[in-house]
This record gives sequence, C-alpha cells and structure tokens, in this order.
Amino acid sequence: MTGRVIVITSGKGGVGKTTTSANIGTALAKAGYKVVLIDTDLGLRNLDLLLGLENRIVYTIVDVIEERCKLKQALVKDKKNPNLSLLAAAQTRDKTAVNAEQLKEICNTLKEKNDFVLVDCPAGIEQGFQNAVAGASEAIVVTTPEMSAIRDADRIIGLLATKEEITSTKLLLNRVRPNLIKSNEMMSVDDVVGILEIPLVGIIPEDTGIITSTNKGEPIVNDEDALAGKAYRNVAQRILGEEVPFLDLDEPKGIVAKIKNAFAKLKAKV
Amino acid sequence: MIMEKGFVENGFIIDLSTAQNTTQLVFELSSIMEHPDVKGKQICLKLGNLDLKQSQLLSIKALIESMNASIAFIDTESEQTEASAVSLGIIVSKVSENENAQIIQPQKFSDADEEKVIVKEEETKTVEVSADMDMPSGPVETAEGVEDIYDEMSTEELSEVIPSESFDRTDFGAFAANEGLLPNEETSKYILLDTGNVLPEGIEENSDSTGSMPTLYLNQTLRSGQTVSYEGNVLIVGDAHPGSEIVAGGDITVWGILGGIAHAGSNGNVSAKVRALKLNAIQLRIAGLYARRNDTLNVPYVQKSNEFTPEEALIENGKIVIYKKLRRD
Repeated sequence: MTGRVIVITSGKGGVGKTTTSANIGTALAKAGYKVVLIDTDLGLRNLDLLLGLENRIVYTIVDVIEERCKLKQALVKDKKNPNLSLLAAAQTRDKTAVNAEQLKEICNTLKEKNDFVLVDCPAGIEQGFQNAVAGASEAIVVTTPEMSAIRDADRIIGLLATKEEITSTKLLLNRVRPNLIKSNEMMSVDDVVGILEIPLVGIIPEDTGIITSTNKGEPIVNDEDALAGKAYRNVAQRILGEEVPFLDLDEPKGIVAKIKNAFAKLKAKV
Repeated sequence: MIMEKGFVENGFIIDLSTAQNTTQLVFELSSIMEHPDVKGKQICLKLGNLDLKQSQLLSIKALIESMNASIAFIDTESEQTEASAVSLGIIVSKVSENENAQIIQPQKFSDADEEKVIVKEEETKTVEVSADMDMPSGPVETAEGVEDIYDEMSTEELSEVIPSESFDRTDFGAFAANEGLLPNEETSKYILLDTGNVLPEGIEENSDSTGSMPTLYLNQTLRSGQTVSYEGNVLIVGDAHPGSEIVAGGDITVWGILGGIAHAGSNGNVSAKVRALKLNAIQLRIAGLYARRNDTLNVPYVQKSNEFTPEEALIENGKIVIYKKLRRD
C-alpha cells in the first residue's frame, strides 16, 4: 500500500491549518481510512491539543529522528478512532532540530502502512515550511478571504509550484461569512479563486463552535449538526475523489429568516 | 425467609441505586458492611440500573460473605446485572413498597469526608449513625483509581505523619482490583501509560535518598517550551505552565501550579517525589512510571486560581500514589 502524503499549509498564521488538519484527518479516519497526522510545528505545537491527546504524548518526532524511540512508539492513537494516529512535534525544541531529508524519510515510511499522511505545516516560508513539504506529493493551501492571507497564500502557491514532487495544489477557503459577502464587506469565494487560480477543495463557514471544539480537544467533524463540521466532511469526500457540491451558505436557516428573505425579495422587485 | 414480594425478615435492604459506578458502589457497600448491626444478616441489595458483570457481582457477593452476612436477593433494573445474578445463582426480586425491613442508604456518594450512614428504621424514624471508623488519610488517588478519601480534619495537623500502612481501604482497593472492579477511569486523577521500559539503557532502578542531592532553586515562571533538567532536586517558586517540562534526578517541588510535564527520579530513582501547591501536570513521571492526566478531569482552561490543594505524588507498591497534603518523612 502506498498512501497519499498531503501537506496542509498557508504561509500566514492563524488561518486554520491545524484545525483543518485535525478535522480532515478525523473525517478520513471516520470514513475507514488509516490516517497519520504529523505536526511539524516544532516548538509551537497545537495539533495534540485540538485532538485532546496532549496527555498521551511520550515521544515526539525529534525523539524518532534522534533515535531515542522507534517510529511506531511515537505514534499516539486517537481516543475515539483507532484509524487515526498522531506524530507530535517536540514542544521544547525548534525547527532546526529536524531537516527536510529526515522528514521525507518519515513520510515515506508512514505512507507504506497508511492511506493518508497529513502534514500540518508551521506558518512562514522558512525551514519549517521546507521540512513539511519535503515528503508531500499533494498540498492543500488554507486561506481566509482577507487580503493579507491571500497574499501569503499566493506566495506559498508560487513556492509549491517550484517543487517537483508536489503534483496537486488545492485551495481551502476558511472562515467564510456569507452575510459579509452579501453586503460586499468580504471577498466572495469567486473573487478568491479568481486571484489564486487553483482548484477549490472546500469552503468552510465561520463557526463559533470551532472555539469550543478547540478548547475541548474534540474536532468539529464529530459534531453532526455543526455546519463547519459538515463542510470538513465534504472536504474529506472530495479528497477521496467524490464529487460533492459546495454547501449553499447563503440559504437562511430558520423559518423566520426565510420569510424575511422572501419579503426582502418582494421589496426588491417592487 | 424470602416472601413473594421480596419481603425480608431479619435482614436489611441496602440501597445502592444512586451509585454512579462500581467503584462508588463497592466503596459505599464496604463502609456500610463495617457497621456492626449488619453482621450475620440477610441482605437485599438495591442496585438500580448499574450494569454489573458476573465477576463484579461475584466480588460483591464475596465481600458481603466475608462480613458473615449473605445476599437474600438483589433488586436491579439492569438486564446485564440480572443475567449475572442468574448465572451466579443469586435470586433477583423486587423490594416491595411497604417494607418491614430496615433500609440502609448511603447519605452521599463521592463525598467521603462526611462519613455518615443513615440507618432508616421502619420508615418512620431516621437515626443518623456516624460511621465510627478510624479514618487515616491514606492515598487519595492512585494511577489505578483508589478513591478520594480525603479527610478535611486532618489538614490542620500538618505535622503528623500520615500512617498509610494502617489504611484499610487500600487493602480493599487491592481486593477490588484483583476482582476486576478497578481500575476505574472515571474517578482516578492519573492513569498509568503503557510505555514499556522507558528508562535509558544502563540505568537501573534505585531508591537513593533525595535529601542528600543538590537542589536547583528557580524563582521564575516556567513557560511553554521551557525545560529544566537537573541531576538533583528542582525547586520552582512560581508556576510551571502547560507545555513546560521539568526533569530532575531527585524530587520536584513547585511552589505554584504545576501544569506541564514533571519527571522526578529520572535516573531511575523510585523514591523521588513530585509535589506542587496545585498538581495539574499533564503527565506525571517518576523513575520509569509514566501517568497521564485523566481526560475526564475537568481542568479549567485558565488554571490560575487562589485555591490551592497541596499534593504530593510518589511511588508506592509499584503505583503512582497522590497524597492531598504533604507528608513529613
């Protein structure tokens, strides 16, 4: 078996790389695939917190590289889903503790026994980024509909294009707020895709549930009702090659909102 | 002896239907069984809807029989418990409404510092009997789940050495553990990780006195990503935030909130201890034993608080045991 190694990157910090990694990983594992998540953000690790696995980490990626343990020992199994495991970053070291060759080797070893290896990339374009993309053959670029995030995403897409190993780069638009798009205060999905010119793999609506899910260490894909969770499940399906329509975020939810909307349309006609 | 509607003569009804889990149930049952009035009586157990496996029910039966009493019948809503009872030959019946027997009901679960048992007589007058037990402060929690029996009174007597040997309940804990009742992941604060041998090669377990080791004194906050590593004892006056790591050959003492990883006795010293004003460590490691904080433990996101409960972790009988106050050795 040769699994797919996908790097999740963005350039800019705080746009949701780690949240995306945790949720796509959980969704793929729930669909029955064997998934390993690698946190490459050495010194600023967060992925373990989002999965609620911090208390189980004994060995990290640096221990594997410095041969203090075997790779298998460092893989922490998820609490709920045995298909999902995490290779944590070292919290007490920095990015120079690992080099691109070593990470590539780890990815190559892991993809032999797993369907998916998802690499959570640190922010920036320095060593950490170079390490994270080294073993990957696909990339998902996460961005938000803001000028600064898009500028950084554009830079990352350019850098990814120079990497021969990366055969596919896709866009994930995070924290979309349909009501702001409607009132012309936020760039629309089409605007962003127009600027970045790469295929879209997902649109994730802004969801306050993300905050509680992060604090609880429980990915939002496990919440059947959350819109963001549903959007992430759709991303996982698209990664698996299925054609899933993008969520219609414009549709008002409640009946009151629907009636209001109908009136608004009537008014517009008159 | 047993009438059609579950009437019990010369017996007691012990109502344990409010127990949340088997550990609570066994804990409360054992304290009731110590009451002299119960000896030699027929006992009806009200078990509510708790699911008990055959092995668990068997150990409860053994516990009752060890007190010279016997089970008349059990009253349960759980199908699993009923099946277990049938396979063990224990009669399953219902306690009727107009009961003539005494009902013993634990006043409160999980709050063991109020060691009182209400003995209800003929459903009319209620007598409060203080469970007259010598309650020394034993281990409050272990990595394998002995319950909190923290006695509030004893905190004032900090000078007194806690006689952990004379603690009866630990014997019971061991008994329960052998019978498959423990470990209980719901109630223990730390759970041992199955790490195998984590001590580096060439290092053997020892119990050298940590008192003669040099001590590193730090007057600062330890932040995420910061590591303190020292061959002797480490004393930190300040908090050790989550994400930090303290590794010491000897003891670790944090005069503040310990939230990160603490590894005492890193050179295999099993007599090393970890103590803190608030012990919230995400992982506790002593010598080659690693334990993770329980997921169910609701540690507030913001750990800063003015409420401190000094705790000390050490190895006893191959387990990490946590005491809720400092012992003076």
